[in-house]
Formats: sequence, structure tokens, C-alpha cells
Amino acid sequence: MLAGRSKVLILGCGTCVTVCMAGGEKEVGILASTLRLANRKEGSTARIEEATIERQCDREFFDAVRDKVAEVDVVLSMACGVGVQFFAEVFPDKAVLPGLDTKFYGATVAQGMWAERCSGCGSCVIADFGGVCPVTRCSKSLLNGPCGGSQNGKCEVDPQGIDCGWQLIYDRMKALGQLSKLETVTPMKDWSTGRFGGPGKIVKEDALP
Amino acid sequence: MSVRAATARITALLCENSAWKAYGELALDPELRGVDFVKMPCSGRVDAGLLLALLEKGSSAVLVVGCPRDNCTFLRGNYRAEKRVAVARAALRDAGLDENLVRLEFLSSMDSHRLRDAVLDFKGYLDDHSSS
Repeated sequence: MLAGRSKVLILGCGTCVTVCMAGGEKEVGILASTLRLANRKEGSTARIEEATIERQCDREFFDAVRDKVAEVDVVLSMACGVGVQFFAEVFPDKAVLPGLDTKFYGATVAQGMWAERCSGCGSCVIADFGGVCPVTRCSKSLLNGPCGGSQNGKCEVDPQGIDCGWQLIYDRMKALGQLSKLETVTPMKDWSTGRFGGPGKIVKEDALP
Repeated sequence: MSVRAATARITALLCENSAWKAYGELALDPELRGVDFVKMPCSGRVDAGLLLALLEKGSSAVLVVGCPRDNCTFLRGNYRAEKRVAVARAALRDAGLDENLVRLEFLSSMDSHRLRDAVLDFKGYLDDHSSS
């Protein structure tokens, strides 16, 4: 991706990707050092600059690096896919490349471990399932599970690695004394409220200038 | 990154609870010239960024020395060091460089001879893989 570029800025993000140790200041430093060492070996004179801003999904934070961005040929953004694209909108004349593969909205389930918890479906049903999301935690996104592949609390998709989302829902509803709620058949979901309805947009009227 | 034998400079990051104590007896050893010995609070203090930055900024190679396995003063620091050295070595491979420019050893405060052997072995490796 960087072949032929003489000046590169690796731009980190101080929020989500810092939390999950993928694209923060530390990770930017590691990548920058690696690229400089590689360039040295190749005899390349390409300059690798590095910077990290608070986040790349709010326009104001880019002000701190405008000068640096102006000096380089390309920016390698270590933000999530949102940040990479928003950079392109804020700097329409500057090439930007993604430094990460953005996978999911998740939580830090243990030190050094993150797991998916939300799919951004746009019509949250978590309240009906004891705080466990069937869209995300069930591999098949079943709303009236479980399926026949639930064995010993594990999902047939990956019996070693994936807990059956419906086992989680059952256990949680049982603990809350709400098992009877699961006897109600959940109707078809309108998937158009999320990704399947096209790119989303939200306007908060009372926040507009 | 080939290393010129005459100018090879090893940075040795020594855990103060084990390796640094072992180093005490070796401080005046003439065969260990050309090595920068740095005291660390624990081998677990190292991270991949530090190791790569050392190589980037002038060290020819980096040796991390911590407490023996299952004997870290801070319980798991040396295991953390092991994983972080692995990350640095992977980065060197990605950069097309010799991953053996970063090494990790475990030894106790009594193992001065082993520390000396480890450093001399590393120097020998750099000599054998130098560009001239």
C-alpha cells in the first residue's frame, strides 16, 4: 500500500482503537519503527511521521495535525473504518489508507481480550432477552432460539470458542425470574433499521446550530 | 539490517531482581565492552515499541534478560516479556530483518557465567552475520 510514497503519516486514534490496543499511540509507534527499520534495510529515504489525535470521528480533533497532514503524500490511518473515511471527508485532497481491519463493536471481556457485543441493528431488543442480544450473541441471529446446534452451552458454529447465545439468554432470564417471557414468540425483525437499510444517518434537532 | 561487527552495539535490558545482580560481577569484564547494560524494574517492563525503538535509534541488537520461568519477582513479568519479545521479533520479520536481533534469556542472580555466555554468544552471532 505504501510503495512509492516518500512521506507517510501514521495517524493513530486515542479512543476505541486505543482501548483495544490496535491503533493508539503505542501501536502507531510500533508500526512506525517497523517501517523505518524496513526502509533502512531497503535503502529507502521515505519519511515516516507519526501522530495520534483524540479521535478521528470528530472534525475538530484533526486541527492539531493539519500541518503534518499537509506535508505528507499519504496518511495511514489507524482508526476504525469510520475514522479512515471521515479523514477522507475532512481532507478531500489527501490520500488515506486504512491501517486496521475493523471487526465489531465489542467489550473488554478480560485483559487482552475483546468480544463482539453489538451489531448496530438499529432496533434494540435486548430488553426482551434479559440484557443479552440475540442478534449478536447468536451466530444465526435467531430471535426464537435456540437451534438444534446448541450443545452443552456451546454453539455448533464453533463449539470451542462460541457460547450459545440462547443458552446465555436462558440463563440470564432464569436468574432474573423472567423465563415466562421466552414463551412469547418474537415476530420477524425489521432489518431495514440497521445496515440492511443502507447507510444510516441520525440528526439530533436540539443539537443543531 | 546487517550489522558491522566492529561497530555492533548490543543493548542488554536486565531485570534488576535477577540479571542485574548477575551482571554485578561482570561489570569490568573487558570482553563485554560494546554492550550497554540497562537496569529494568522487571523484564515485563519491556514492550515491543521499546525494543524496536532501540534498534531504530542505534542499537545493533537487543538482549532482554529476566528472572527464570516461574520465578519472576512480580509473578508473571517474564511471561509478559516473552510475549512482547515475540511481537517485536514478528515485526522484524515483517520488516524483512533478522528476528534474532532481539533475544530473550531467563536466569537468576547467581548466574553471572550464564549471563556472560549469553552476551558473548550474541556478540558471536552478530559477528557471523555482519555485512563485513
